[in-house]
Amino acid sequence: MIAPTKPSEQRIGVFVCHCGSNIAGMLDVEAVAEYAETLDNVVFVQRNLYTCSDPGQKEIKEAIKEHKLNRVVVASCTPRIHEPTFRACITETGLNPYLLEMANIREHCSWVHPNEWEGATEKAKVLVKSAVARAANLDKQKEMELPVTQTTLVIGGGIAGIVSALEIADGGNKVYLVEKKATIGGVMAQLYKTYPTMDCST
Amino acid sequence: MALENFHCLRCNHKYKAEFSKKEWPRELTCPKCKSNSVRWLKKRAAKGAGKKDS
Amino acid sequence: MMDVSRHPNIELITYAQVENIAGFIGNFTATIRKKTKYVDEKECTACGDCVKVCPVLVPDEFQQGFSSRRAIYIPFPQAVPSSYLIDMDNCLGTNPIACGKCKPACEKKCIDYDSRDEIITIDVGAVVVATGLKPYDPRPLDEYGYTRYENVITSIEFERLNAAGGPTQGHFIRPSDRKEPGSVGFIQCVGSRSKVRGHGYCSNICCMNTIKDSLLLQEHYPGIETSVFYLDIRAFGKGFEELYRKSREQGTKYIRGLPGEIREHHETNNLVLTVENTTTGKIELHEFDMIVLSVGVEPDKDSDKIKSMLSLSRTPDGFFLESHPRLKPVEVPTRGVFMAGFAEGPKDIKDSVCQAGAAASKVSNLLGAGKVRIEAVTSSIDEDLCTMCGRCVRVCPYNAITKSNKKANILPGIIEAACAGCGACGVECDYGAITMRHFTDAQYYSQVEAVLADKPGEKIVVFACNWCSYAGGDLAGTSRMSYPSSPHLIRTMCSARVNMDFVKHALKLGAPIVVVSGCHFSDCHYIDAVKNTQKRVEKLWDELEDLGIRPERVQLEWISAAEGAKFARVMKELELLRKQVTPKEIEETKRILIEAEKKKRGKKAAKKTVST
Repeated sequence: MIAPTKPSEQRIGVFVCHCGSNIAGMLDVEAVAEYAETLDNVVFVQRNLYTCSDPGQKEIKEAIKEHKLNRVVVASCTPRIHEPTFRACITETGLNPYLLEMANIREHCSWVHPNEWEGATEKAKVLVKSAVARAANLDKQKEMELPVTQTTLVIGGGIAGIVSALEIADGGNKVYLVEKKATIGGVMAQLYKTYPTMDCST
Repeated sequence: MALENFHCLRCNHKYKAEFSKKEWPRELTCPKCKSNSVRWLKKRAAKGAGKKDS
Repeated sequence: MMDVSRHPNIELITYAQVENIAGFIGNFTATIRKKTKYVDEKECTACGDCVKVCPVLVPDEFQQGFSSRRAIYIPFPQAVPSSYLIDMDNCLGTNPIACGKCKPACEKKCIDYDSRDEIITIDVGAVVVATGLKPYDPRPLDEYGYTRYENVITSIEFERLNAAGGPTQGHFIRPSDRKEPGSVGFIQCVGSRSKVRGHGYCSNICCMNTIKDSLLLQEHYPGIETSVFYLDIRAFGKGFEELYRKSREQGTKYIRGLPGEIREHHETNNLVLTVENTTTGKIELHEFDMIVLSVGVEPDKDSDKIKSMLSLSRTPDGFFLESHPRLKPVEVPTRGVFMAGFAEGPKDIKDSVCQAGAAASKVSNLLGAGKVRIEAVTSSIDEDLCTMCGRCVRVCPYNAITKSNKKANILPGIIEAACAGCGACGVECDYGAITMRHFTDAQYYSQVEAVLADKPGEKIVVFACNWCSYAGGDLAGTSRMSYPSSPHLIRTMCSARVNMDFVKHALKLGAPIVVVSGCHFSDCHYIDAVKNTQKRVEKLWDELEDLGIRPERVQLEWISAAEGAKFARVMKELELLRKQVTPKEIEETKRILIEAEKKKRGKKAAKKTVST
């Protein structure tokens, strides 16, 4: 097994979102935040009413600067919604976007365990612990940038192929329109009149 | 096509179904509990004989 | 159509097939075979002198076989490009002894019997797949007698028989006696909406097409009797309901029920159909001069090759799978590839045009940006650890790993731009030579350990793929479906990233139940990477059984992003399973796994000493 290495210089900041009452109304966010403080490598914990809001993001940015954070964990909603938001947010401070991790304590916790105050709180703690553990193992990543050849291949010369080829070509880019038959037109060329206006198809 | 044995690891339902090995791997669903934890009980070599997960 | 041939930015390559597409977003290379037409496309003026001398007569495909054409022909007068071609399958022969009459007839000398297919290689940044449709072939539906009765025709044949440019110059006659029919019956859903025969889906266009046809007939032949036999009339688009009402007002009868049988009267060639009118519940007989089968449509099967070249997936219906059914309808999981028209799903002309515009806009955005960013979730190979076994190459659904060769000492290479980041290769590698960036083994182990650090016996570890299972869990959340708090999700991009060692590690740390969940096979966001998951879990079950651990402790589930309810149900079921696992069993499992690991390590060490 590979034992995760825990470099001592890691400074993780944890931001626990109340999401109004969406999270704070179903579990003890204060307890979650207190627990986060006890975790390895965590040097800063803050609760926000809405972490994704402008004030929330501002708080993250300030904390990164003030506490020299080099990893950020946001415990809020699903990363499928706000991962891009928070990535962009930490990038503004010069931090690599891949040094962000999220703990989903809303969709996967507060919203689905509404009658389990204790259970939901405990689970939120574990999800934060898991996110912090992963964050400690995150590395900077560089996204590759590649040029795009300024031509397009359109396969099929029916109405859909013809229209897309024309649109792209009108935009000033070269298009290769490939059709397997000897003529373009596709099935539509065989039609006489078309609905709903009963006009000619060709 | 042959009749193969399946075992649902969710509800413990055991059943036979027409199944062609060519289709493998594919999605399996227990006819009783709709779970996907269905194990295809293929004829395996005797315990421990040659079959080692690396 | 003419706009295409005139447009300075469009190079039209007809009578051609895409033989290969390699590369990745922004950087594809396509190889195209342009079949020879034996007539110089650019020189041909479509004067038709060649046709006059051609002695061969064959049925004209464009006219649905209602008229004939020569072996040298133009598909239809307005064809683009406006050029003749020789159908070599039917040509008598280019040798002057056999025939060869057309060549001297051509004043511009554009016929060349010796011309050969041309292979064209082009570099493109984006691909639009618009492979279109094929009308359903009604021959398997024998009860309609399409093969036996001349006066039973398909809706496409109907189009030709009405078209001004058709074989009858738009004069609608029935094939058996070339007389105007006094009554026409339309049968809907031929090849559609049947799980048993034809296709299960609704072909979308046939209801409106029949309504249009009925109006056409009523308009041109006042007094003609038209009846439509249907399951449901689906007139859902803008202006459609009005058209349907108009058709009824003009006298077309709509009878709910599909005929069970059509028989021909042997003298009159009229057709008698037997139908259960499901509104009245009575069996009725209807006689018509002519019957039109409103055939459904299906995706063109020639697109299979395109599918494998571009790593596309199909829905069970055979249409290409989009990236997201609502939010990304023209994208496919392969970046830089877009689709339009029928290839994506049944739709009418207007919708095809809309989608074509959307695809064009996506392409323009991509080209306009000038460069693409590749998310850093890709794999990389450690050359020192790689043994060049080639297993990673085989499991990669994107062909993003170049072939290794042990003999020639060639390492496999990751084409980073083509790698989508499923992680199937990293798990397949037994030597730890492949690292998934941003989703490393160390990260997963740390998460598993964090989840199970405290009271592991009360926790269920769930590996959930980002696109489906994890999203299904999100949906359960947004839908406020409550379930027990024991499951703890660990997100993976694809379930194929789940190494069974992670699962064993969790069991070793005292997890009562570990779940591996991913997309349904048809929804896999990494083409078919999910297959690996099924295989690996199967193998793990066998292994656990051999070790004396109940395979039930590891559960497998496919949950789509739309299945929030299923997600919640499964979580409840898992909690029941968890309660059945006793602390004693957990301890026993731990002991077995730790021992097995020791043994394995011992063996490896022994192997090492032997080899050194």
